[in-house]
Amino acid sequence: MRFRGVASWAISLFRRYLQVRAVFSTVVISGIALAIVGGFLSYSIGGGLFSTRQAQVLAESERAVVEVQNTFSASSVSNEVALQSLMNTIVPSIESTGTTNSRRVALLRSPGQATGQILQSPISADLDPTVIPTALRSKVRASAGNLIYQSIALRVAGAEHPGIVVGAPVQIPLAGSYELYLVFDLNSEQQTLDFVQRTLVFGGLILLLMIGAISFFVTDWLVRPVRLAAEVSEQLAEGALDRRLPERGEDIIAILARSFNKMAQSLQSQITQLASLSKMQQRFVSDVSHELRTPLTTIKLAGDMIFAGRETLSPPVKRSAELMHDQIERFEALLNDLLEISRYDAGAVIADLEMQDLNGVVGMAIAGIEPLAMSKGSEILIEIPQGPVDAEMDSRRIERLLRNLLANAIEHGEGKPIRVAVGVSESAVAVTVTDEGVGMTRAEVDRVFDRFWRADPARKRTTGGTGLGLAISLEDTHLHDGWLQVWAKPNEGASFRLTLPRRKGMVFTQSPLPLPPKKAKKKGDA
Amino acid sequence: MSHKILVVDDDNALREMVGIVLESEGFSVAFHDAGAGALERFNAESPDLVLLDVMLPGKTGIEVCREIRAVSGTPIIMLTAKTESDDVVLGLEAGADDYVVKPFDPGVLTARIRARLRPLAGASAEGTVKIGPLTLDIEGHEVRRGAEKISLTPLEFSLLLALAQKPNLVFSRAMLLEKVWGYRHNDDTRLVNVHVQRLRSKIEDDPDNPKIVTTVRGVGYKAGQG
Repeated sequence: MRFRGVASWAISLFRRYLQVRAVFSTVVISGIALAIVGGFLSYSIGGGLFSTRQAQVLAESERAVVEVQNTFSASSVSNEVALQSLMNTIVPSIESTGTTNSRRVALLRSPGQATGQILQSPISADLDPTVIPTALRSKVRASAGNLIYQSIALRVAGAEHPGIVVGAPVQIPLAGSYELYLVFDLNSEQQTLDFVQRTLVFGGLILLLMIGAISFFVTDWLVRPVRLAAEVSEQLAEGALDRRLPERGEDIIAILARSFNKMAQSLQSQITQLASLSKMQQRFVSDVSHELRTPLTTIKLAGDMIFAGRETLSPPVKRSAELMHDQIERFEALLNDLLEISRYDAGAVIADLEMQDLNGVVGMAIAGIEPLAMSKGSEILIEIPQGPVDAEMDSRRIERLLRNLLANAIEHGEGKPIRVAVGVSESAVAVTVTDEGVGMTRAEVDRVFDRFWRADPARKRTTGGTGLGLAISLEDTHLHDGWLQVWAKPNEGASFRLTLPRRKGMVFTQSPLPLPPKKAKKKGDA
Repeated sequence: MSHKILVVDDDNALREMVGIVLESEGFSVAFHDAGAGALERFNAESPDLVLLDVMLPGKTGIEVCREIRAVSGTPIIMLTAKTESDDVVLGLEAGADDYVVKPFDPGVLTARIRARLRPLAGASAEGTVKIGPLTLDIEGHEVRRGAEKISLTPLEFSLLLALAQKPNLVFSRAMLLEKVWGYRHNDDTRLVNVHVQRLRSKIEDDPDNPKIVTTVRGVGYKAGQG
């Protein structure tokens, strides 16, 4: 559909370019104005030409009619032969031949007279008497010697010419009532009019073309700075913060350029300031995490020494040693998570991608979390497809992520079974971790990946998570160009679904596993 | 006879605490608190193992490591605060045998130290092992190419011996970590990669095109070609 293509191209051009629209509108409006002016000119010139010619025609006719009537009245023919020959001289005397400005003559006998027609009606050789309308003839007969005329179409040499028929009654002695008709060809006037119209159309088109060209150049001149501004703001938006508009002159465009540049300048300085602030902050978090490590090492070593020798201590001191030991571990986990998230914030994380069997990674994560699950009485039910589920991943991060999801499920699962499912499709692999515990409200689900956010601050924390686990998990997922999604309902449980592309850069639109997951199978079904 | 360990760290509390932990495990300990003078201290003490902090005033731990390695094959374990930066790789390339990340467990620290002080893996066997143009004298801890003696650290010798004793068997990095470093559950392949590179630079004619220790893509390493 070539035409449709061209049309849609034109429409898109029209939509996209202000200039195309401006030129198009100018040309259309000018075209309409020119058509009105041209039409009026053509009409009045035509009218003028016609009325001049008509006056001339009527004057000529008047003269001719008077002349003919006088000729007959003054004649003294006594027989029909002489009359006939006299009549025959009438036509050549007043007709004028030729293809332009011709005047044809017909002397016709009025019908309906008592005496029969004996004489031949003389008619110009190339005149077809049927062009004389019968209505005109009856009007001529009814007239009291006045000239009657009507516009008609003449066929001359295959072409249609405008014409006028003028008629008047003539009394011929011996022969009775006759009608004299003069048929004028107005072709030369028509040709003049045609020429004028052609000139008008041609001139109009040239004018239109020039208007189009002028409006193109004028709008181009006006639009160019605007287009440049649009281009530059696009580049600014894409991050090229040092782009500016050229500032020339004192006109409105220069004012636009100056204020645009001022805006870009303040935007740039604010963004750079923010970026350096955020970089400083990331650097600070990273430095703090590092600096804390050396004293923490000493504390940890000391704590472990005390913990190892706790049996020799008095009960309160022994308990203190145990608490300290646990809290040092928690502190260390927190520090590690802080450092990890600061690495992500600094954009310093690079995935170490390798082909891995997701089933194996899931197995490792479950093995790592098994002691915790046992202590909470949560059974972990696994549903994995047959055969290896290969995907490119950073297995250390994915295992950590899954361990984290499992730890969350155990913490909020209230000792009920936790189901882990693995799914695979052409382009993606997925894992869901589902518990049947306390679940979450809609508002809680929205915040679940926020840093240090806790579902219920009043809830007793038992597993000692750092509050950064899911935030890091989400970053790990983004590192793989994957999805980490959550479904939850209060008192029904929660389900986290991780979907990863099988190869880096693979595009997937659907996860191989549903979320929320299929209803739990009854025990023993599997 | 207790092994002597030189602890080089600028943090007084940590240095003393590490000393307490090591002494309680039966090691004798010497200390040094800066990068400058660490080599002199090493020469004066001639320890069996060096614990070396990466961040030291005066001279970085990496430079100290390179200096010690230039004169001795004594095991060096780096103490580092970063795991993902270049510190680890730089330290290993400078000749460190192993590293521990702060904050570490006393158990982990002593396990690593013991692994490095243990008699070499497979060294109970006697006689010699031949691999390519090289001859390994197991008892003498010596490697010769013809009459020329090649100087390897105990760890490099242990790595080469592990590979050479089972020629054409492909060792995964995890297997080598367990056999040579005494690790379980550690997947830090950098340790293996860097040491294989160092080993190759000493024994291969063209380290970029190795003939003695070859890489089996996606699996690991083996001794010999084919």
